[in-house]
Amino acid sequence: MNYDLLIIGGGPAGVAGGVYAARKKMKTVLVAKEIGGQSFVSDDIHNWIGVKDITGFDLAKRFEEHLADYKEDIEVVKGEEIVRLEKAGEGFRATSDSGKTYEAHYVLLTAGSRRRKLGVPGEKEHEGKGVVYCSTCDAPLFKGMTVAVVGGGNAGLEAVVDLFPYAEKIYLVVRSEGPKGDPITLEKVKASEKVTVVPMAETTEITGEKSVSGLKYKDKTSGEVKELAVGGVFVEIGAVPNSEFVKNLVELNDRGEVVVDHKTQRTSLSGIWAAGDITDVLFKQNNISAGDAVKAVLDIYEHARKR
Amino acid sequence: MNEVLIYSTPNCVYCKLAKEFLSAHSIPYREIDVASDDKALEEMVEKTHQRGVPVIEIGDEIFVGFDKRAIAEALGITEQESAA
Repeated sequence: MNYDLLIIGGGPAGVAGGVYAARKKMKTVLVAKEIGGQSFVSDDIHNWIGVKDITGFDLAKRFEEHLADYKEDIEVVKGEEIVRLEKAGEGFRATSDSGKTYEAHYVLLTAGSRRRKLGVPGEKEHEGKGVVYCSTCDAPLFKGMTVAVVGGGNAGLEAVVDLFPYAEKIYLVVRSEGPKGDPITLEKVKASEKVTVVPMAETTEITGEKSVSGLKYKDKTSGEVKELAVGGVFVEIGAVPNSEFVKNLVELNDRGEVVVDHKTQRTSLSGIWAAGDITDVLFKQNNISAGDAVKAVLDIYEHARKR
Repeated sequence: MNEVLIYSTPNCVYCKLAKEFLSAHSIPYREIDVASDDKALEEMVEKTHQRGVPVIEIGDEIFVGFDKRAIAEALGITEQESAA
Protein backbone atom coordinates (compact mmCIF):
# COMPACT_ATOMS: atom_id res chain seq x y z
CA MET A 1 0.00 0.00 0.00
CA ASN A 2 1.42 3.36 -0.99
CA TYR A 3 -0.50 5.43 1.54
CA ASP A 4 -2.01 5.05 4.99
CA LEU A 5 -5.00 7.16 3.99
CA LEU A 6 -6.70 8.21 0.79
CA ILE A 7 -9.08 11.16 0.99
CA ILE A 8 -11.51 11.46 -1.91
CA GLY A 9 -12.79 15.01 -2.38
CA GLY A 10 -11.43 18.50 -1.74
CA GLY A 11 -14.15 20.46 0.00
CA PRO A 12 -14.16 21.48 3.68
CA ALA A 13 -14.46 17.83 4.75
CA GLY A 14 -11.56 16.62 2.65
CA VAL A 15 -9.36 19.53 3.62
CA ALA A 16 -10.10 19.27 7.35
CA GLY A 17 -9.44 15.54 7.19
CA GLY A 18 -6.24 16.20 5.29
CA VAL A 19 -4.85 18.70 7.76
CA TYR A 20 -5.55 16.46 10.73
CA ALA A 21 -4.21 13.35 9.02
CA ALA A 22 -1.01 15.17 8.11
CA ARG A 23 -0.58 16.43 11.64
CA LYS A 24 -0.94 12.84 12.90
CA LYS A 25 1.85 11.94 10.49
CA MET A 26 -0.36 9.56 8.52
CA LYS A 27 0.97 9.21 4.98
CA THR A 28 -1.95 10.70 3.11
CA VAL A 29 -3.03 11.50 -0.42
CA LEU A 30 -6.01 13.73 -1.17
CA VAL A 31 -7.47 13.41 -4.66
CA ALA A 32 -9.99 15.95 -5.91
CA LYS A 33 -11.20 17.64 -9.06
CA GLU A 34 -10.63 20.94 -7.32
CA ILE A 35 -10.19 22.29 -3.80
CA GLY A 36 -12.99 24.33 -2.28
CA GLY A 37 -16.19 22.35 -2.30
CA GLN A 38 -19.66 23.44 -3.26
CA SER A 39 -19.27 26.95 -1.88
CA PHE A 40 -16.37 27.60 -4.24
CA VAL A 41 -18.78 29.56 -6.44
CA SER A 42 -20.31 31.48 -3.58
CA ASP A 43 -20.03 35.21 -3.55
CA ASP A 44 -20.21 35.60 0.18
CA ILE A 45 -19.97 33.08 2.96
CA HIS A 46 -21.01 34.59 6.27
CA ASN A 47 -21.04 31.52 8.45
CA TRP A 48 -17.59 29.94 8.21
CA ILE A 49 -16.83 30.27 11.89
CA GLY A 50 -14.15 32.83 12.77
CA VAL A 51 -14.60 34.73 9.53
CA LYS A 52 -17.29 37.41 9.13
CA ASP A 53 -17.28 37.45 5.37
CA ILE A 54 -15.37 35.55 2.72
CA THR A 55 -15.84 34.51 -0.92
CA GLY A 56 -15.80 30.83 -1.80
CA PHE A 57 -12.78 31.55 -3.95
CA ASP A 58 -10.79 33.01 -1.06
CA LEU A 59 -11.83 30.22 1.28
CA ALA A 60 -10.62 27.71 -1.29
CA LYS A 61 -7.28 29.55 -1.44
CA ARG A 62 -6.96 29.29 2.32
CA PHE A 63 -7.76 25.59 2.17
CA GLU A 64 -4.97 25.10 -0.36
CA GLU A 65 -2.50 27.12 1.69
CA HIS A 66 -3.31 25.22 4.86
CA LEU A 67 -2.77 21.88 3.12
CA ALA A 68 0.43 23.13 1.54
CA ASP A 69 1.82 23.78 5.01
CA TYR A 70 1.91 20.02 5.48
CA LYS A 71 3.24 19.00 2.11
CA GLU A 72 5.75 16.63 3.70
CA ASP A 73 2.93 14.44 4.96
CA ILE A 74 0.06 15.00 2.60
CA GLU A 75 0.14 14.81 -1.18
CA VAL A 76 -2.60 16.82 -2.86
CA VAL A 77 -3.65 15.71 -6.33
CA LYS A 78 -5.93 18.14 -8.16
CA GLY A 79 -7.75 17.76 -11.44
CA GLU A 80 -8.46 14.08 -10.90
CA GLU A 81 -11.84 12.58 -10.09
CA ILE A 82 -12.06 9.14 -8.51
CA VAL A 83 -14.49 7.03 -10.52
CA ARG A 84 -13.91 3.59 -9.07
CA LEU A 85 -13.05 2.25 -5.62
CA GLU A 86 -12.42 -1.39 -4.83
CA LYS A 87 -10.87 -3.61 -2.20
CA ALA A 88 -7.26 -4.48 -2.91
CA GLY A 89 -4.98 -6.50 -0.71
CA GLU A 90 -5.02 -5.09 2.80
CA GLY A 91 -6.74 -1.92 1.77
CA PHE A 92 -8.28 -0.26 -1.23
CA ARG A 93 -7.49 0.86 -4.75
CA ALA A 94 -9.05 3.94 -6.30
CA THR A 95 -8.99 4.74 -10.00
CA SER A 96 -9.33 8.25 -11.38
CA ASP A 97 -11.00 9.48 -14.56
CA SER A 98 -7.61 9.72 -16.23
CA GLY A 99 -6.72 6.16 -15.30
CA LYS A 100 -4.33 6.84 -12.42
CA THR A 101 -4.58 4.56 -9.37
CA TYR A 102 -4.07 5.21 -5.68
CA GLU A 103 -3.72 2.51 -3.04
CA ALA A 104 -4.22 3.06 0.66
CA HIS A 105 -5.02 1.15 3.83
CA TYR A 106 -7.91 3.42 4.70
CA VAL A 107 -10.24 5.65 2.77
CA LEU A 108 -12.12 8.77 3.78
CA LEU A 109 -14.98 9.59 1.41
CA THR A 110 -15.58 13.33 1.24
CA ALA A 111 -16.84 13.63 -2.33
CA GLY A 112 -19.79 15.81 -1.39
CA SER A 113 -22.78 16.30 -3.62
CA ARG A 114 -23.78 18.03 -6.84
CA ARG A 115 -26.80 20.06 -7.91
CA ARG A 116 -29.98 18.13 -8.50
CA LYS A 117 -31.40 18.53 -11.97
CA LEU A 118 -35.09 18.84 -12.84
CA GLY A 119 -34.99 15.87 -15.17
CA VAL A 120 -37.55 17.34 -17.54
CA PRO A 121 -37.51 17.53 -21.32
CA GLY A 122 -35.63 20.52 -22.61
CA GLU A 123 -33.39 20.82 -19.59
CA LYS A 124 -30.28 19.10 -20.88
CA GLU A 125 -30.62 20.65 -24.31
CA HIS A 126 -30.72 24.14 -22.85
CA GLU A 127 -27.95 23.80 -20.28
CA GLY A 128 -25.80 26.87 -20.80
CA LYS A 129 -28.44 28.30 -23.11
CA GLY A 130 -30.72 29.64 -20.43
CA VAL A 131 -30.75 26.78 -17.92
CA VAL A 132 -28.49 27.71 -15.03
CA TYR A 133 -27.34 25.92 -11.87
CA CYS A 134 -25.09 28.63 -10.49
CA SER A 135 -26.89 31.90 -9.91
CA THR A 136 -23.84 33.69 -8.54
CA CYS A 137 -21.99 32.84 -11.73
CA ASP A 138 -24.63 33.67 -14.27
CA ALA A 139 -27.20 36.12 -12.91
CA PRO A 140 -25.42 39.08 -14.58
CA LEU A 141 -25.99 37.51 -17.98
CA PHE A 142 -29.75 37.89 -17.72
CA LYS A 143 -29.92 41.66 -17.51
CA GLY A 144 -33.33 43.08 -18.34
CA MET A 145 -34.83 39.63 -18.87
CA THR A 146 -37.70 37.70 -17.37
CA VAL A 147 -36.49 34.54 -15.66
CA ALA A 148 -37.76 31.71 -13.49
CA VAL A 149 -36.15 30.32 -10.36
CA VAL A 150 -37.28 26.80 -9.50
CA GLY A 151 -36.90 25.80 -5.88
CA GLY A 152 -38.70 26.56 -2.64
CA GLY A 153 -35.86 26.57 -0.15
CA ASN A 154 -33.00 28.88 0.78
CA ALA A 155 -31.12 28.20 -2.43
CA GLY A 156 -34.11 29.35 -4.47
CA LEU A 157 -34.55 32.47 -2.36
CA GLU A 158 -30.86 33.31 -2.63
CA ALA A 159 -30.92 32.88 -6.39
CA VAL A 160 -33.80 35.35 -6.53
CA VAL A 161 -31.74 37.83 -4.51
CA ASP A 162 -28.75 37.27 -6.83
CA LEU A 163 -31.03 38.22 -9.72
CA PHE A 164 -32.41 41.43 -8.21
CA PRO A 165 -29.83 43.76 -9.78
CA TYR A 166 -30.20 42.19 -13.22
CA ALA A 167 -33.50 40.54 -14.11
CA GLU A 168 -36.54 42.62 -14.90
CA LYS A 169 -38.99 40.04 -13.65
CA ILE A 170 -38.52 36.89 -11.59
CA TYR A 171 -40.94 34.01 -11.19
CA LEU A 172 -40.23 31.86 -8.14
CA VAL A 173 -41.68 28.47 -9.01
CA VAL A 174 -42.25 26.21 -6.02
CA ARG A 175 -44.01 22.89 -5.54
CA SER A 176 -45.53 23.77 -2.17
CA GLU A 177 -47.71 26.64 -1.03
CA GLY A 178 -44.81 29.02 -0.75
CA PRO A 179 -41.05 29.27 -0.32
CA LYS A 180 -39.50 28.51 3.04
CA GLY A 181 -36.18 29.69 4.32
CA ASP A 182 -34.22 32.11 6.46
CA PRO A 183 -36.45 34.98 7.57
CA ILE A 184 -33.94 37.59 6.35
CA THR A 185 -33.98 36.33 2.79
CA LEU A 186 -37.68 35.51 2.75
CA GLU A 187 -38.48 39.11 3.67
CA LYS A 188 -36.24 40.54 0.96
CA VAL A 189 -37.92 38.36 -1.65
CA LYS A 190 -41.47 39.03 -0.52
CA ALA A 191 -40.82 42.78 -0.48
CA SER A 192 -39.64 42.93 -4.07
CA GLU A 193 -41.96 44.04 -6.84
CA LYS A 194 -39.96 42.09 -9.37
CA VAL A 195 -40.92 38.75 -7.86
CA THR A 196 -44.05 36.70 -8.49
CA VAL A 197 -44.29 33.48 -6.53
CA VAL A 198 -45.88 30.62 -8.48
CA PRO A 199 -46.96 28.08 -5.84
CA MET A 200 -48.13 24.46 -6.18
CA ALA A 201 -46.26 24.21 -9.49
CA GLU A 202 -44.52 21.13 -10.83
CA THR A 203 -42.14 22.00 -13.67
CA THR A 204 -42.80 19.74 -16.64
CA GLU A 205 -40.76 21.13 -19.54
CA ILE A 206 -38.34 23.79 -20.61
CA THR A 207 -39.12 25.13 -24.05
CA GLY A 208 -37.32 27.15 -26.65
CA GLU A 209 -35.48 26.85 -29.93
CA LYS A 210 -31.82 27.85 -29.72
CA SER A 211 -32.25 29.18 -26.21
CA VAL A 212 -34.81 29.04 -23.45
CA SER A 213 -38.07 30.84 -24.12
CA GLY A 214 -40.46 29.20 -21.68
CA LEU A 215 -41.10 27.01 -18.66
CA LYS A 216 -44.13 24.74 -18.60
CA TYR A 217 -45.57 23.61 -15.29
CA LYS A 218 -48.51 21.67 -13.96
CA ASP A 219 -50.68 23.58 -11.54
CA LYS A 220 -51.09 20.98 -8.80
CA THR A 221 -54.42 22.34 -7.62
CA SER A 222 -56.20 22.51 -10.98
CA GLY A 223 -54.21 19.93 -12.94
CA GLU A 224 -53.78 22.42 -15.80
CA VAL A 225 -50.51 22.81 -17.63
CA LYS A 226 -49.46 26.45 -17.93
CA GLU A 227 -46.46 28.18 -19.45
CA LEU A 228 -44.33 31.11 -18.31
CA ALA A 229 -42.47 33.14 -20.90
CA VAL A 230 -38.94 33.26 -19.56
CA GLY A 231 -35.47 33.63 -21.01
CA GLY A 232 -33.73 31.78 -18.22
CA VAL A 233 -34.41 29.03 -15.71
CA PHE A 234 -32.37 28.89 -12.52
CA VAL A 235 -32.56 25.42 -11.00
CA GLU A 236 -32.23 25.39 -7.20
CA ILE A 237 -33.81 22.12 -6.08
CA GLY A 238 -31.22 20.61 -3.81
CA ALA A 239 -28.32 18.24 -4.15
CA VAL A 240 -27.47 14.67 -5.05
CA PRO A 241 -24.63 12.88 -3.24
CA ASN A 242 -21.66 11.88 -5.41
CA SER A 243 -21.87 8.31 -4.19
CA GLU A 244 -22.39 6.31 -7.38
CA PHE A 245 -18.80 5.12 -7.39
CA VAL A 246 -19.23 3.42 -4.01
CA LYS A 247 -22.79 2.19 -4.34
CA ASN A 248 -21.72 -1.45 -4.40
CA LEU A 249 -19.16 -1.05 -1.66
CA VAL A 250 -20.87 0.74 1.23
CA GLU A 251 -24.44 1.06 2.41
CA LEU A 252 -26.39 3.96 0.96
CA ASN A 253 -29.81 5.14 2.11
CA ASP A 254 -32.70 5.78 -0.24
CA ARG A 255 -31.38 9.27 -1.02
CA GLY A 256 -28.07 7.80 -2.13
CA GLU A 257 -26.30 9.17 0.94
CA VAL A 258 -23.54 7.08 2.53
CA VAL A 259 -24.82 5.74 5.84
CA VAL A 260 -22.36 6.42 8.66
CA ASP A 261 -22.11 5.82 12.39
CA HIS A 262 -22.32 9.41 13.56
CA LYS A 263 -20.05 8.75 16.53
CA THR A 264 -17.12 7.62 14.40
CA GLN A 265 -18.07 8.40 10.79
CA ARG A 266 -17.49 4.74 9.90
CA THR A 267 -19.37 3.42 6.89
CA SER A 268 -20.76 -0.11 6.64
CA LEU A 269 -17.43 -1.37 5.30
CA SER A 270 -14.46 -1.71 7.60
CA GLY A 271 -11.65 0.54 6.45
CA ILE A 272 -13.85 3.19 4.87
CA TRP A 273 -15.00 6.34 6.63
CA ALA A 274 -17.08 9.19 5.21
CA ALA A 275 -17.86 12.79 6.11
CA GLY A 276 -19.71 15.78 4.73
CA ASP A 277 -22.54 16.08 2.23
CA ILE A 278 -21.95 12.60 0.80
CA THR A 279 -23.18 11.15 4.10
CA ASP A 280 -26.58 10.94 5.79
CA VAL A 281 -25.67 13.81 8.13
CA LEU A 282 -28.84 15.75 8.88
CA PHE A 283 -27.52 19.19 8.03
CA LYS A 284 -25.29 20.02 5.10
CA GLN A 285 -22.96 22.80 6.21
CA ASN A 286 -19.27 23.61 5.71
CA ASN A 287 -18.62 23.77 9.45
CA ILE A 288 -20.28 20.39 10.03
CA SER A 289 -18.44 18.75 7.13
CA ALA A 290 -15.12 19.89 8.52
CA GLY A 291 -15.99 18.73 12.04
CA ASP A 292 -17.17 15.32 10.89
CA ALA A 293 -14.02 14.79 8.83
CA VAL A 294 -11.88 15.57 11.87
CA LYS A 295 -13.90 13.04 13.84
CA ALA A 296 -13.29 10.48 11.12
CA VAL A 297 -9.55 11.05 10.97
CA LEU A 298 -9.12 10.82 14.74
CA ASP A 299 -11.04 7.55 14.68
CA ILE A 300 -8.92 6.29 11.77
CA TYR A 301 -5.79 7.20 13.73
CA GLU A 302 -6.92 5.29 16.82
CA HIS A 303 -7.95 2.35 14.69
CA ALA A 304 -4.62 2.30 12.86
CA ARG A 305 -2.65 2.46 16.11
CA LYS A 306 -4.36 -0.66 17.43
CA ARG A 307 -3.62 -2.65 14.25
CA MET B 1 1.36 34.20 -30.61
CA ASN B 2 -2.43 34.12 -30.74
CA GLU B 3 -4.16 36.72 -28.63
CA VAL B 4 -6.18 35.25 -25.81
CA LEU B 5 -9.61 36.73 -25.15
CA ILE B 6 -11.71 36.05 -22.06
CA TYR B 7 -15.39 36.92 -21.82
CA SER B 8 -16.15 37.17 -18.12
CA THR B 9 -18.32 38.65 -15.41
CA PRO B 10 -17.08 40.13 -12.11
CA ASN B 11 -18.39 37.33 -9.88
CA CYS B 12 -17.45 34.45 -12.08
CA VAL B 13 -15.09 32.23 -10.11
CA TYR B 14 -13.99 30.06 -13.01
CA CYS B 15 -13.14 33.22 -14.91
CA LYS B 16 -10.84 34.16 -12.01
CA LEU B 17 -9.24 30.73 -12.13
CA ALA B 18 -8.70 31.04 -15.87
CA LYS B 19 -7.08 34.47 -15.51
CA GLU B 20 -4.84 33.23 -12.72
CA PHE B 21 -3.79 30.28 -14.84
CA LEU B 22 -2.90 32.54 -17.76
CA SER B 23 -0.99 34.98 -15.56
CA ALA B 24 0.91 32.17 -13.88
CA HIS B 25 2.16 31.13 -17.29
CA SER B 26 2.83 34.74 -18.39
CA ILE B 27 0.24 34.61 -21.14
CA PRO B 28 -1.19 38.02 -21.99
CA TYR B 29 -4.95 38.17 -22.40
CA ARG B 30 -7.70 40.68 -23.04
CA GLU B 31 -10.73 40.57 -20.79
CA ILE B 32 -14.25 41.59 -21.78
CA ASP B 33 -16.81 42.13 -19.02
CA VAL B 34 -20.11 40.97 -20.52
CA ALA B 35 -22.04 42.07 -17.42
CA SER B 36 -21.44 45.69 -18.37
CA ASP B 37 -20.90 45.43 -22.11
CA ASP B 38 -24.21 44.41 -23.71
CA LYS B 39 -22.84 44.37 -27.22
CA ALA B 40 -20.04 42.06 -26.18
CA LEU B 41 -22.56 39.77 -24.50
CA GLU B 42 -24.50 39.53 -27.76
CA GLU B 43 -21.28 38.77 -29.62
CA MET B 44 -20.40 36.05 -27.15
CA VAL B 45 -23.84 34.46 -27.41
CA GLU B 46 -23.63 34.62 -31.23
CA LYS B 47 -20.21 32.98 -31.28
CA THR B 48 -20.94 30.20 -28.81
CA HIS B 49 -24.74 29.75 -28.96
CA GLN B 50 -24.82 29.77 -25.21
CA ARG B 51 -24.96 32.15 -22.30
CA GLY B 52 -22.32 31.02 -19.83
CA VAL B 53 -18.91 32.34 -18.82
CA PRO B 54 -16.00 32.11 -19.05
CA VAL B 55 -15.64 31.94 -22.80
CA ILE B 56 -11.98 31.76 -23.74
CA GLU B 57 -10.82 32.41 -27.29
CA ILE B 58 -7.35 31.27 -28.26
CA GLY B 59 -6.77 32.11 -31.91
CA ASP B 60 -9.46 30.19 -33.79
CA GLU B 61 -10.40 27.94 -30.90
CA ILE B 62 -13.19 28.77 -28.51
CA PHE B 63 -13.56 27.18 -25.09
CA VAL B 64 -16.68 27.44 -22.96
CA GLY B 65 -15.83 27.08 -19.31
CA PHE B 66 -12.36 26.67 -17.81
CA ASP B 67 -11.19 23.32 -19.08
CA LYS B 68 -7.62 23.52 -17.80
CA ARG B 69 -6.34 20.51 -19.76
CA ALA B 70 -7.77 21.63 -23.10
CA ILE B 71 -6.63 25.21 -22.67
CA ALA B 72 -3.14 24.18 -21.57
CA GLU B 73 -2.91 22.04 -24.69
CA ALA B 74 -4.06 24.87 -26.94
CA LEU B 75 -1.38 27.10 -25.44
CA GLY B 76 1.35 24.48 -25.62
CA ILE B 77 1.74 24.20 -21.86
CA THR B 78 2.82 20.72 -20.75
CA GLU B 79 0.97 18.70 -18.12
CA GLN B 80 3.77 19.09 -15.59
CA GLU B 81 3.88 22.83 -16.03
CA SER B 82 0.12 23.15 -15.78
CA ALA B 83 -0.11 21.02 -12.62
CA ALA B 84 0.98 24.04 -10.59
